[in-house]
Amino acid sequence: MTTLRLSFDRIRKQLAIIAKHPYFGFVVFGAILVVLRLLALGGIIPNSLMKSLVITMIYAIVALGFSLLLGYAGLASLGTAGFVGLGTYFIGHFSGTLGYPFLATILISLLGAIVLGAIVGFISLRIEGMYLAIITLGLSEIMREIFKSFTAFTNGVNGLGFRDFTLFELEVSEAAVDFIVIFVFILLIIGTLNIIKSPTGRALLAMKNSDSAAQSMGIGLMKYRLLAFTLATIYAVIGGLLYMMDQQFSIPTTWSLDFSLNILAAVVVGGAQSITGIILGTFTIFGLNMTVLKEIAFFREYPDATWIVSGMLIILITMFYPGGLIRLLLAIKFWLIKIWKKLKRKWSVYRYGEDD
Amino acid sequence: MAKMIDGLLQGFRLHRLNRLRDQKSFLENYLPILVKAIRDREERRIKLARDRDGAALRGPALAAGVLTPALETERSTALANIEERYRWRAKALAQSKKRALSKSSEDMVVATFAVRTEQLEHQKQVDLESVGRRYAASQGDLAAAREAFRIQAEEVHAATDARLAAAKAKADKIIAAKTAAYETKTDELGRKIEKVRNLLIANKSDETNALIPEDSLLSVRNLSMRFGGLMAVDNLSFDVKKGEIFGLIGPNGAGKTTIFNCITRFYRPTSGEMLYRKNAVEVIRLNDYPVHDIIRQGIVRTFQNVELVWELTILDNLLVAAHTVYRTGFFGQLFHTPKLRREEEVMRAKAFGVLGTLGLLPYAYAIPYGLPYGILKKIELARTLMAHPKLIILDEPAAGLNDKETEELAVLIKKIRDDYHATIFLVEHDMGLVMDVCDTICAISFGKKLAIGTPAEIQSDKLVRSAYLGEES
Repeated sequence: MTTLRLSFDRIRKQLAIIAKHPYFGFVVFGAILVVLRLLALGGIIPNSLMKSLVITMIYAIVALGFSLLLGYAGLASLGTAGFVGLGTYFIGHFSGTLGYPFLATILISLLGAIVLGAIVGFISLRIEGMYLAIITLGLSEIMREIFKSFTAFTNGVNGLGFRDFTLFELEVSEAAVDFIVIFVFILLIIGTLNIIKSPTGRALLAMKNSDSAAQSMGIGLMKYRLLAFTLATIYAVIGGLLYMMDQQFSIPTTWSLDFSLNILAAVVVGGAQSITGIILGTFTIFGLNMTVLKEIAFFREYPDATWIVSGMLIILITMFYPGGLIRLLLAIKFWLIKIWKKLKRKWSVYRYGEDD
Repeated sequence: MAKMIDGLLQGFRLHRLNRLRDQKSFLENYLPILVKAIRDREERRIKLARDRDGAALRGPALAAGVLTPALETERSTALANIEERYRWRAKALAQSKKRALSKSSEDMVVATFAVRTEQLEHQKQVDLESVGRRYAASQGDLAAAREAFRIQAEEVHAATDARLAAAKAKADKIIAAKTAAYETKTDELGRKIEKVRNLLIANKSDETNALIPEDSLLSVRNLSMRFGGLMAVDNLSFDVKKGEIFGLIGPNGAGKTTIFNCITRFYRPTSGEMLYRKNAVEVIRLNDYPVHDIIRQGIVRTFQNVELVWELTILDNLLVAAHTVYRTGFFGQLFHTPKLRREEEVMRAKAFGVLGTLGLLPYAYAIPYGLPYGILKKIELARTLMAHPKLIILDEPAAGLNDKETEELAVLIKKIRDDYHATIFLVEHDMGLVMDVCDTICAISFGKKLAIGTPAEIQSDKLVRSAYLGEES
């Protein structure tokens, strides 16, 4: 009996050590998403809910890349939409129209992302703050015009379809795409976590705080600005690839300023430096109206009214919790702990009297 | 042509020397961490084995009525738990008595509660007795049970001891093997370093080395810096000797920080050059290096207004300062390879060492936001020590500190010079500090040199006195 208790103790201690690992929460999150997808397969939860969760995850991947840029390197960009759009056309054109193998498409997309990110990074060496945002916005709009006119690549304003996606000569079903999205999402979260907990992440933060201090500590501005933009572009292009796999259709009007602003809003609302915060923020901006608000009769009648809710949320959060939703969450946690302690104290006084 | 090849070879040797030195210092720093990890694991294993033994022997010991140390602690905790529980119950009873007194008549309450207190006491005695019975000798053939317990205990302990001894021998063997391997590696590296160094010195070209005197570390030659119409630094020359504390003083706006910014390449000087003895064989022109490469040459600076990373803990701030010492590339960081983890451990140990030297250990995991100014200044100082500094440039280290903190700082600066074998070059307004710590002082006014010399010489210099006090000379 005691031996059993001892071994239980051991297992509990081991579990406690595992639970403290920084990946743990996110791996559990991924497992929950997989279970949800399986439930949707079994018809227990509606398929539409799963669809909106998957698209939210894809946007969250883009937001993760953007947070490296805004929250860590302190660089503002409004060009996200163009890069995501480019990702969709990369897979739509090379894998869909031309029928290249999938790995070749990924390679081309990554190369394209690195080149584009490096170009924007170079621009960011000269221009900062608001002006950089405007320039990246211009770049994104130029890309959108190219998407519209360069019909051989993008099929123009009619939009590019992408069906019958095969991976290693196997037909990939919709459910399989969802599993791929979940897998890539968790993988990228862990990658981001590794980057922000390593010398590179600290170097980015140092650069954000003070250019001169960072340089005096051997952090070259050029290297790290280029790196930040390249990473953000890679995340955006991966988001684009997954978007195309999931939605099977891409049209230039999707990749407008609205999209970039929504990603910016998601990162700011969630908390630009916390991965949990970014997931929350993306869900608030994109997922909330697709999953929760859609169920309310009023919003079914006036679908555009959901934007009012998002707008109000943004205003309230930026007013009262400038650090983002993650701050609100922490505040609630501390508040609950405080209440719990107070209640315990009250009960103790009632039952046992004041302390001696 | 031969000269060019020589130059290339020298460059290659220097690069190799640096790599070898990095490897050696990593090995030397990592070995204690590794040994400690192995020892910790061993200790955990011993504790676990003892716990398991106690659990296995519990039944026989109880039957024999022998109180083993494990049983003794178990018994005393059980007794203490009962005491604690009944203390709280008594308190609760007193409280409910108080409440009852306010409601009904006194006699009734007193009587009832007398009974209930008695009951509680009785219950407590019963509980205590039951614990006593549990650990007391049971009935029956005690002698035989004791004998059986003794034999079993001996067996179990012998088995555990043998296992632990084997484990300890294995751990010792691992440690010895690792230590030996690391030592042979370090020795080998040391020999290689010596060889490359000798080669370097044998081939050193006198041309660059003759540029500055053998004992000086930094030589500023005819430095001028013009901002539009303002001549901030005007044809200034001075030498900083190896291992000294060099002070630069001057009234406000004399151009002291401008000189610092020229040396650390934040400004491009209008004319003049800065020569720096990077190592035994190489003198470099700092003018040729970009800002972020200056720290790699061994020159570290602090800032007048504290420039920390406000989102990171003090420890992480120090790790940022060690940025150039890391050898893991981006992909190693992306996948958090064991190499990066080992490196991080070494850096952490080093950072804790630095924090210990400066008395900042209590703040290791604090965020700098909201810490007192004196502490922030010290963190800036700590940061300079992370990246093998040879020349530490301090921009007004005592600004904003009170007298006591300034005194501490003076001790600290001397200590850093001695412990880290670094040369210190500082700008300061606090004359007490400058006269106290500096070996050589250079006084400037409006970008021009007034005097250079020991503190006593500077104090008695007429030009300096007139610049500071406005005396007519």
